Amino acid sequence: MVILREGICPGINEEFIKALQSEDIKTVEDFVSCNPEELAQKCSLSYKALVAVRRVLLAQYTAFPVSGADLYEELLSSTAILSTGNPSLDKLLDSGLYTGEITELAGSPGSGKTQVCFSVAVNISHQLKQTVFYIDTKGGMCANRLLQMLQSKTPNMEEQMEALQKIKVLRVFDVFSLLACLQNLRSNGLQKASVGGGSVKALMVDSVSAVLSSMLGGKQNEGMSLLMQVAGELKMIARDFSIAVLVTNHVTKDGNGHLKAGLGQSWSHVPRTRVLLQRIEGAETSSLRTATLTKSSRQACHLVEGFDLCHWSEERRTSISGKRKLEERSKP
Amino acid sequence: MHTPHSRSVGGGNAPFWLVCQTAIKHQKKKKKKKKRKSTVNSKMHRTVPSLPLAPSMKVKLINAGFQVASDLTDMRPLQLCKEAGISQEEAVEVLQVLRDDGQPHQQRAATESLTALDLLHQEQALGSIVTFCSALDDALGGGVPVGKTTEICGSPGVGKTQLCMQLAVDVQIPVCFGGLGGKALYIDTEGSFLVQRVADMAEAAVQHCTLLAEDTEQRQALEELTVEKILSNLFLVRCHDYVELLAEVYLLPDFLSEHPEVRLVVIDSIAFPFRHDFEDLSQRTRLLNGLAQQLIQLATQHSLAVVLTNQMTTRVSNGQSKLVPALGESWGHAATQRLILHWEGLRRLASLYKSPSQMEATIQYQITVQGFRDAPDEPRTTPDSSAVSSPSGNHSKRPRMEDLS
Repeated sequence: MVILREGICPGINEEFIKALQSEDIKTVEDFVSCNPEELAQKCSLSYKALVAVRRVLLAQYTAFPVSGADLYEELLSSTAILSTGNPSLDKLLDSGLYTGEITELAGSPGSGKTQVCFSVAVNISHQLKQTVFYIDTKGGMCANRLLQMLQSKTPNMEEQMEALQKIKVLRVFDVFSLLACLQNLRSNGLQKASVGGGSVKALMVDSVSAVLSSMLGGKQNEGMSLLMQVAGELKMIARDFSIAVLVTNHVTKDGNGHLKAGLGQSWSHVPRTRVLLQRIEGAETSSLRTATLTKSSRQACHLVEGFDLCHWSEERRTSISGKRKLEERSKP
Repeated sequence: MHTPHSRSVGGGNAPFWLVCQTAIKHQKKKKKKKKRKSTVNSKMHRTVPSLPLAPSMKVKLINAGFQVASDLTDMRPLQLCKEAGISQEEAVEVLQVLRDDGQPHQQRAATESLTALDLLHQEQALGSIVTFCSALDDALGGGVPVGKTTEICGSPGVGKTQLCMQLAVDVQIPVCFGGLGGKALYIDTEGSFLVQRVADMAEAAVQHCTLLAEDTEQRQALEELTVEKILSNLFLVRCHDYVELLAEVYLLPDFLSEHPEVRLVVIDSIAFPFRHDFEDLSQRTRLLNGLAQQLIQLATQHSLAVVLTNQMTTRVSNGQSKLVPALGESWGHAATQRLILHWEGLRRLASLYKSPSQMEATIQYQITVQGFRDAPDEPRTTPDSSAVSSPSGNHSKRPRMEDLS
């Protein structure tokens, strides 16, 4: 609902607005939906002026349809697939993180979400040589750990420093700061970063539930609006800049005691792909984890892959469950 | 992208699409101008619904037609009052919020990013607080990290309060001995803080430092390090219920700006006030999550270590019972690091359960008259070699740490 004001289009001035307000036309919608001839007769405004303003307003505020073929071509040329560096996880995600989409990692505390984010960030900045933006809301960002991971990949100090410089960290701790941060990135932050050499290909938010879960529920009426605003910002960033967005989420238990990702039903529609990370029963202290695909538009759901947090680039030889057969059948 | 329409029949001027194109070009020019403006003032692009104002206020502003924060910046309070239909005080408040948008620190954090390399240098400068138990220090990567929240869970009597009191003494060890030389704030909710015990621990720490003093700088620092001084740098707050605790955390930023040398905040315990008489469990979860975010914000902005103590509860599943940390599943996500202290027979063990930078490990410790120490069974070799051969190869170890362990 856009209110008619001075200056939103050439030809609209104070008198114009006053004349329209006397006919009870306050918003752009009201203006374009009424007939300019009738309006010219009722107010003391010229027909030509009304028609001209109407055209400009329609041009400003209309959404233009795009044909499916154009859209497909645009998608083919702008989408990239970023490998996570771990073959099992890549298999699960259909060869990696897709730009233009939001991927979600959910898991209980200590299940390895932050470690997976680190490993993916290191892989993108070192292997693929692209810039990564990392929004940390929990204080879990540890540059030391990133350095450790880089050291296991290459002994060359310069390469390590270069890769570290491609990872940009933003620390925000409440939802309004997160929104400010995302809006700033969308309006000038991302362009600045890509101008400096090295395009931004990934944005990670760890975690989205830490800032949103305290706003949802109870007598608070703003929670859902903020959740949808965050979702909207992330989607617009992913789409407009062709960036892969990776978010982490906590888990809760549903009625039957099974784990499900947090933030409720409304958030469940936001990410395109959702992965649930779990420790292995019985091997509580090892670094082995299983990743289950809980939502995907490309692969069959409930695919399970096992991987080792310590040996990121190696493939796990042993299968975790009999779901391997399902996976083979589903691949064309 | 557009297919040109045929010329309109009957005396139209230019075809519709041409007018649109020119209008769009004009619009794009305007947008470019706006972009130039936005690099000067970073608030131009914030939408009104994302501002930290009361929801009812935002609804009134949106109904009056303000979509973006830039619409509001040039308004005077009276003008805003008239257009949005809000009272004058509210209009002044709205403009105030726009002007500072929280603390300047926050705004900078939201817009400026650090590279991981800068962060690495910062982390190396921050350091950590030793626990005087070298096995635990190694497992934690040098000690309790500054700038993060650490949660210590354990059954009653296993040594959580002892560890907290030890940390409150250890944070005050002077910089020349490898410590942080900072003050400590102890928020006690259970009433388990005993000054006599802290005095004993402080004396043991002073004696330990006396044995290690080598050069003149250290001896000078040692003259000032007395039990009285250690106790006077320890601030104690007693909270009796969760409302007092929430109020105290809310007032912490002011306290910390008055006392910038505080490097440790201990809340012992955070579970106790929230487990008594709390009927609405979802409200409890929300309050705890909000509290956790406030604490991590304090830890990052004021460079301090936050230590929280939690209790244990029993979870029954598949006919078996297990001891798990209290306060629910979502609280597990709140702290950056989680340490679980438990018994195994007569031995006390500490397990690092969740950490962003360290591997999971279980070590043994003991509580002696002097405080929190290594268990006697695990022989530590000479202090120098243990510092050099530490498994994690951490770069955050400050150069003088060899003196201490």
